[in-house]
Amino acid sequence: MAEESFLTDDFLRQLMNVGEVDILVGLPTHNNAKTVGSIVHTIQTGILRGFPRARAVIINADGGSRDGTPELVTGVSIDDARPASNLYALRTLHSISTKYANSSQPSNKVAFRTILAAAELLRAKACVVMSPESANVEPEWLSKLLGPIYHDDFDLVTPTYSRHKFEGLLITNLLYPMTRALYGVRIRETYSPEFGFSGRLGTQFLGQNIWTDATNGTGVELRFTLAAITGKFRICQSFLGEKIQIERRSADLVPALRQTVGALFSALEPDFPVWSVVAGSEPTLTNEADHGVLLEPLRINRKRLREMFSTGVAELESVFQSILSPATLAELQQIARLRDEDFRYPTELWVRTVYEFAASYQKSVISRDHIIQALAPLFRGKALTFLTENRNASAEEIENNIEGLCREFERLKPYLLQIWKSSE
Amino acid sequence: MPLNRTALWYKDAIIYQVHVRTFHDSNGDGIGDFQGLNGKLDYLQELGIDAIWLMPFFPSPLRDDGYDIADYNAVHPTYGTLDDFRKFLESAHERGIRVIIELVSNHTSDQHPWFQESRSSRDNPRRDWYVWSDTDTRYNGARIIFLDTEKSNWAWDPISKSFYWHRFFSHQPDLNYDNPAVREQMWEVMKFWLEMGVDAFRLDAVPYLVEREGTNCENLPETHEVLKELRRRLDESFPGRMLLAEANQWPADLRPYFGDGDEFHMAFHFPLMPRMFMGLKLEDRKPITEILHQTPEIPSSCQWSLFLRNHDELTLEMVTDVERDYMYDSYAESKMMRLNLGIRRRLAPLLANDRRRIELMNGMLMSLPGTPIIYYGDEIGMGDNINLGDRNGVRTPMQWSGETNGGFSTAPPERLYAPIIQDPVYGYQAVNVLRQKASEHSLINWMRTITGVRKSTGVFGRGSIEFLYPANHRILAFIRQLGNEAVLVVNNLSSSAQAVELDLRRYKGNILIEMFGKNIFPRVGDLPYLLTMGPYQFYWFRLRRI
Amino acid sequence: MREMIVSELNQALHELARGFAHFLPRLIVMLILALVGWAIAYFVKVVLRSVLRLIKFDKLSENAGASQLLSKAALPSATEVLSRFVFWVAWLGVILLGVSVLGILGLQEQVAKFFLFLPRLFVAMFIMFFGLLAASFFSRAALLAAVNANVPSPRVLSLAVRSIIIVFVLSVVFEELGLAEQTMLVAFGIAFGALMLGLAIAFGMGGRDLARRFLEKKIVRDKKEENEDELSPL
Repeated sequence: MAEESFLTDDFLRQLMNVGEVDILVGLPTHNNAKTVGSIVHTIQTGILRGFPRARAVIINADGGSRDGTPELVTGVSIDDARPASNLYALRTLHSISTKYANSSQPSNKVAFRTILAAAELLRAKACVVMSPESANVEPEWLSKLLGPIYHDDFDLVTPTYSRHKFEGLLITNLLYPMTRALYGVRIRETYSPEFGFSGRLGTQFLGQNIWTDATNGTGVELRFTLAAITGKFRICQSFLGEKIQIERRSADLVPALRQTVGALFSALEPDFPVWSVVAGSEPTLTNEADHGVLLEPLRINRKRLREMFSTGVAELESVFQSILSPATLAELQQIARLRDEDFRYPTELWVRTVYEFAASYQKSVISRDHIIQALAPLFRGKALTFLTENRNASAEEIENNIEGLCREFERLKPYLLQIWKSSE
Repeated sequence: MPLNRTALWYKDAIIYQVHVRTFHDSNGDGIGDFQGLNGKLDYLQELGIDAIWLMPFFPSPLRDDGYDIADYNAVHPTYGTLDDFRKFLESAHERGIRVIIELVSNHTSDQHPWFQESRSSRDNPRRDWYVWSDTDTRYNGARIIFLDTEKSNWAWDPISKSFYWHRFFSHQPDLNYDNPAVREQMWEVMKFWLEMGVDAFRLDAVPYLVEREGTNCENLPETHEVLKELRRRLDESFPGRMLLAEANQWPADLRPYFGDGDEFHMAFHFPLMPRMFMGLKLEDRKPITEILHQTPEIPSSCQWSLFLRNHDELTLEMVTDVERDYMYDSYAESKMMRLNLGIRRRLAPLLANDRRRIELMNGMLMSLPGTPIIYYGDEIGMGDNINLGDRNGVRTPMQWSGETNGGFSTAPPERLYAPIIQDPVYGYQAVNVLRQKASEHSLINWMRTITGVRKSTGVFGRGSIEFLYPANHRILAFIRQLGNEAVLVVNNLSSSAQAVELDLRRYKGNILIEMFGKNIFPRVGDLPYLLTMGPYQFYWFRLRRI
Repeated sequence: MREMIVSELNQALHELARGFAHFLPRLIVMLILALVGWAIAYFVKVVLRSVLRLIKFDKLSENAGASQLLSKAALPSATEVLSRFVFWVAWLGVILLGVSVLGILGLQEQVAKFFLFLPRLFVAMFIMFFGLLAASFFSRAALLAAVNANVPSPRVLSLAVRSIIIVFVLSVVFEELGLAEQTMLVAFGIAFGALMLGLAIAFGMGGRDLARRFLEKKIVRDKKEENEDELSPL
C-alpha cells in the first residue's frame, strides 16, 4: 500500500524544473521574515563565490509562516525571469519553497525530511542545512561546510564555534563526552543548526524508519550525526566562527534536553551493537585547530541553579528511585545538603548519573519523557559545578577540564554496559 | 532565379561566408580561385543561400590572410582576374545570390603604394594619409588587440624615422580618417566595386577608424561621422546596397553604428555567440536570455547578423573572467586551442561532433532574431587543424569528395595552400559534400531542410521576439511574431530529456503545427502547455488559429 | 429382632444406594464438568497470560504503581495475578453452571446474579487499573513540570493531581459496581469543585500536550527577568 507522499504536487513540479544539482542548501523556516532575506543573500553570495560553476538550489522548507517568509525566499531566486540582482551568477540559482504537507505546526523533523527528499530527487552531491536563527552567518560558511564534501569526498561536516566558555554547557558536559565515549568519535557539535552532508549519507538516512515513529522523532539532527557514525561515513569538522543566536534560548532546558539527550538515549538501543564494542575514541579531522573560547565575564544566577538542583533532588525522590541506583541517589542527596560554598557535583558521580539515566531510559522504567525531564535539575547542578570550577580558568584549562570529563565518561563505559545488560 | 528585389532583402537572407582561396581550385595550382567558386554556385543555390560574403581577395602580401591590402581595385592574381570576378558576380546574380565583399577600411598593408609613399618622407603628399608620431606614447588609452603578437600600437619606421599607428599587426598601418583625401579615396574604392555590381560591403574593424587623445580610440563620434557620410553617398547613388559592420563591442556600444537607420544596415552580434556555446555547456539558458535582454532596440530598417563560427577565433572578449575561464575549460582544454582571448576551433569539433548539438545550435542560429551566417564547411561538419598557425586551422580546403585533396584541387597535395584535413573522423574521406548528398540523413541535407523551413515564413527574418520563462531553466523558449503570424520556438539545451510547462495563455485556442513534419500538436488550453523533449531537441511550432 | 435390624439396615443401605445411584450420575456429570471447566479455565489462563506478556502488561502495571503494591503484598507479578484470577473465575463459572444444571434450588438464582455481576466487576477492575495508571503518570508529569519551572511545593501539586484523579476513578468504579454511588459522587463533586487545579487536570486529560506547554510557557514568561542570568545550554 502506498503511503501518502509528504511532498506536495507543487513542490514536486518545482523540483522537476530545477533538475539535477551539484549543491543543495536546505533552509527550514517558521516566521523568520526579519532575518531570512539577509540569510538567503549570504547563502547566494557564498555559493557564487565558493562554487561559481556548480548547479545549486536553495530549498526552503517552511512550517506555515504567516509573515511572508517563503515569498522572501523565492523572490530572490537568481534566474533570467527576475530583475537583475546585484550578484553576478554564471548560471541560474533557484530558490524554491514548500510548506511541508499535512502539518499544522513547525517540525524540524518534517522539515529535514523534506530537505533530504529533495536532495535525493535532485541527486545533489553536496548538501548543507542552514538556520535562519544564526545571527552571524558569513558567505564563507558555505565553503567551509560544503568544501570537504564537494572536493574531498567527506560525508558529514559538523561545525565548531568559538563560544563563551560558559555557553553550551549541555554540549560540553553531556552530549560531547557521552557521544565520544560511547561511539568512539570526537565530534564537538553533534546537534547544530548548520551542517553539511553528502547526498550518499542523506539518501541512506532518508531510508531509515525513524520518520513515522512519533516518539523517536525529536532531535532528528542528532540522530543524523549518530547515523553517520554508525554507518562508518567520513566525518570532519569545520570551524565557522562565533556562535550567535538571534534569540537566546536560555530557559528552554527541557526542550533542549528532549531534542538532544532524548534523541541520544533513544538511539542507544538500536545502535547497541555498534557502541558496545567501541573502546576509547578517535579524533576527528578538523580544518582549523583551535576554535577558541571567549572569556569575558558573564553574570550568572548561580543561586537559582543551586536551588533548582536541591529542590529537584528533594522533590523528585520518588522518581529518582525508579531511575537511579540506591547508591547514586544517596550520594546525590548528600551533596544536595552541602553548603553553597562547598557544593560540588563530582565528575564521577555525574557520569554515573547520566549512565544510569541512559539505562533506565532503555528499560522504560517510567515514561521516557519523564526520565528526560527528571534529568534537568541534576544537569543544573553539574552546570553550577562547572561554572564554579572554571570561574577564573583560561581557555586551555577549560579544554583540559572538558577533556578530563570525556576521559571519565570513557573510563566508566564498562559500568554502562554492565547496567545495560542487566536488563536482558 | 532572379534576385529578391525587396529593399530589406538582407533581413530575409541566409549568408554564406567563404574565402575564395578555400573553396575550389580550377587551375591546379593548389589555391582556390574565382572560376572554381563560380563552378560551385549551384551547390550554394541548392543549400538555400541568398548571399555570399567573400573574405578579402584584393592583392596583398597575405601576412594577415588578405586583410593587409596592397591594392583596392584589383583581384589577387592567384584567385583570378577582375574579369573572372565579374563573371562570378553575374553567375551569382543569375542564381538569385547576392555578393558581399570585404572592405578593409581601417588599415592597409605596409606594401600598399600609399604607405610606400607616405613613409618615404615627411613631405610626401600622402604623408598625412597615415597616422605618424615622433613618440610612441600618444593615444595610450587604446588597448592592444592582437595580444599574442603585438606589444604596442605604435611601430617604428626606419625609413622616415618615426612611429606609425597600427591597431592590428605592425605591418598593417592605420589610415588617417581625419584626412578628407582618405575619406574621398575610400568612397572611390567603394564606387568602383558598386558599379561592377557588388551588393554589399562588410567594413572591417570600423570602431578604430579615428583616434583621439584621452580616449580608448574606439567608437568615437568622429568615426560615426565618417561612416554616416559613406552611407549617405551609398543611398544616394546605389540604393538597395548594404553595409555590414564588423565591430566586436557590447550591444550597447554597437547601437550607435546603426545610427537612426543612417549608418550601417547590419552589424554582427558578437556577444551572443559565445553565450550560445556557454548556455549549451551550462545547460542553462540564462547567458543567452540575459545578453538578448541587454541588446538594445535597433531601427526598423536595421538587422543583427548572427553566426556560430567564422574565420577568426571564437572570441571571448565580451565575457567576464569567470565566463572566459569556464569557456576555456569547457571548450579548449588544450592551450594550443586558445588564441588572443578566444578559441580557434570549428563548429563540429567544438560540439564534439555531436550531430544533435550541431542541429540545435543551427536551429538557434536560424530562429533567433537576425540574419544567419553559415561559415563554409560547417554545413557538412568540417573539422579543424589546430596545428596550423594563427587562425588557419579553421581555413582549410573545402571537402567536396573522397578523391585526392578532397576534390578541392588537382594539384599535388604538397602544393595546397594549406593541408587538407585527413584524420579519420573529420578527414575528407569521411566528411565531404558528395557523400553527404547521397545520404538521406546527412548534415547537409538537414541544413537544406532547415534553410527551407526558415524561408517558408518571414517571421524569422523580420519578426519580433518575446521570451517565455519556463521554470525549467534548461529550456530556451520564445515566440517570434510578424503581423498575424506567430512561431513558437522551444530548445532543450540539456544533454538529458526534459519536461517543460509553457505559459501560452495569450495564445489560447491556437493549434500548434510542428514546422518540419507539419504535424499538428495539441491545441493550447487553459493549463500550462506540457512538452517533453529529448536531449538537445528543438521544436518550431507555427501557431495557427482555425 | 436381629432380622428387623438387618432388614432395616438393608433397606437403609438400599435407600442410600438408590439415593446414591440417583445422585451419582449428577455427581459424575459435575465432576466431568469440573474437569472440563478446569481445562477450559486453564486454556483461558494460558492464552491470557501470553496476551498480557505480549502487551507488556507487567510494565504497564509497574507504571501504574500496581506492581509495587503487589510486591509489597508478596504477590507475584501482575500478569500472573490477573491470569490466575481469571482462571479461578472461569473455573468457578463453569462449576456454578454445572451446579445450576444439577438443579439445587436457591443456588440458581445466586448463580444468575453472579454471572450478571461478573462483567461489571471486570469493567470496574479495568477502570481501576487504568485510573491508577493515569493518576501515576499525570502526577509525575505535574511533579516534573513544577520542579523544572521552579514552582514552589511541587510535591504538593503532584499529590493534588494524583488525589483528584484517584477520587474521580474511585467514584466511577463505585458507580459501576453499584455501591454507595451517591456518596462517592458527592465526595468527588466537592473535591472537584474545591480545587482550581481540577479544572486544569480535566483540561490536561483532553489536551495533555497543550496543558503542559501552557503551564510551562505561562509560568516561564512571568519569570523572564530571572532568565537573563541564565545560560543557553546548546
